[in-house]
Amino acid sequence: MKRWLLIAGRLIIAVIFLYAGYEKVREPWLQFAISVESFKMVPETWLEPIARILPWCEIVLGIALLLPGFIGRWSSLVATGLLSFFLFIGIRASVKGLIVDCGCFGAGHSGAIDAEWFAEHVAMLALGLAVMVGEFWKARRPKKSLLA
Amino acid sequence: MKSMRYLFFIPALFVPVLLVTAQTPAPSKFATSAPAKKTATAAPVKNFKESGSPNAPVRIEIYTDYECPACRDLYMNALPSINSDFVATGKVQLLHRDYPLPQHQYSKLATRYANAAGEIGKYEVVANQLFVTQPQWAADGKVDGVVAKVLSPAEMEKVRGLVKNDTHLDDSVTADVAMGTNVDHLSQTPTIVVVSKGKRDVIGGMPPYIVFKQFVNQKLK
Repeated sequence: MKRWLLIAGRLIIAVIFLYAGYEKVREPWLQFAISVESFKMVPETWLEPIARILPWCEIVLGIALLLPGFIGRWSSLVATGLLSFFLFIGIRASVKGLIVDCGCFGAGHSGAIDAEWFAEHVAMLALGLAVMVGEFWKARRPKKSLLA
Repeated sequence: MKSMRYLFFIPALFVPVLLVTAQTPAPSKFATSAPAKKTATAAPVKNFKESGSPNAPVRIEIYTDYECPACRDLYMNALPSINSDFVATGKVQLLHRDYPLPQHQYSKLATRYANAAGEIGKYEVVANQLFVTQPQWAADGKVDGVVAKVLSPAEMEKVRGLVKNDTHLDDSVTADVAMGTNVDHLSQTPTIVVVSKGKRDVIGGMPPYIVFKQFVNQKLK
């Protein structure tokens, strides 16, 4: 049962990253650059590389999360790190009173940083953490086939 | 049971297919890349809203609302650079589109004044005046007063007559709103549409000009 929960959790995280990347890749990179710029975290010269590369990184990560073993396990770590970073920049924007469009799932499905945004991202981070801990816990346990 | 882990490979196989379809235009709330042929079906836009060469390889269409502060920023800060870098050099044709938002009380009136001025060849000067003085007339609704400051008394009389009596003055606005709603799926103003090689890239908001310039230059290649 726990094994299936772990699989389901990893699948959900993978779908989230694939969807987020897919929606952004569909749009002109300039649209996501506007979202990145609204966070006021990077110089203007970084906007194009970030807007072009990050959506593809999300897609690659989504695919990697679907793979078994070592790759899937370490991808869950990277995904959790990325989700933590997204939550951090959301908190930072909120504290600074910035009006941002998160651009998380493309321009049509994005919104301001509000309570709903925080709830979503905390839930995603919690799921990512649970999956990551579960994956590494599972990997530490000795395999029955080797003991037999 | 151990082989179940390889079930993950099955969805992974579908991902490349999804990515290929990602490059295909699809309607969404904030659709991009709508086919350019739809442009041809939209109502014609009056010439006074266009500038630059009609043979330019790229066309930039800008949806604005005269009462929207972000549109004012775009008009006052980015538009002069767009004009000097791209329009004056024949690389881009610029087209203004009106998208008065319902929550803005005086926006429609301001649009009527701008388009009436366009009928007598004074569109640019009045549009500029409306954006420059936006905080003033948006607060008190006295659009007529700010427009009168940049036109001669005779011109102003003509504009007032058109604003009052011309029943077709809003036709281009209706066409622009229909275009923005049905084709470009606007969710905000300003929205910039970069039209190149039959593709409409719809950009909500205005990025830093340096980034926008990179984007347009890539379209010009």
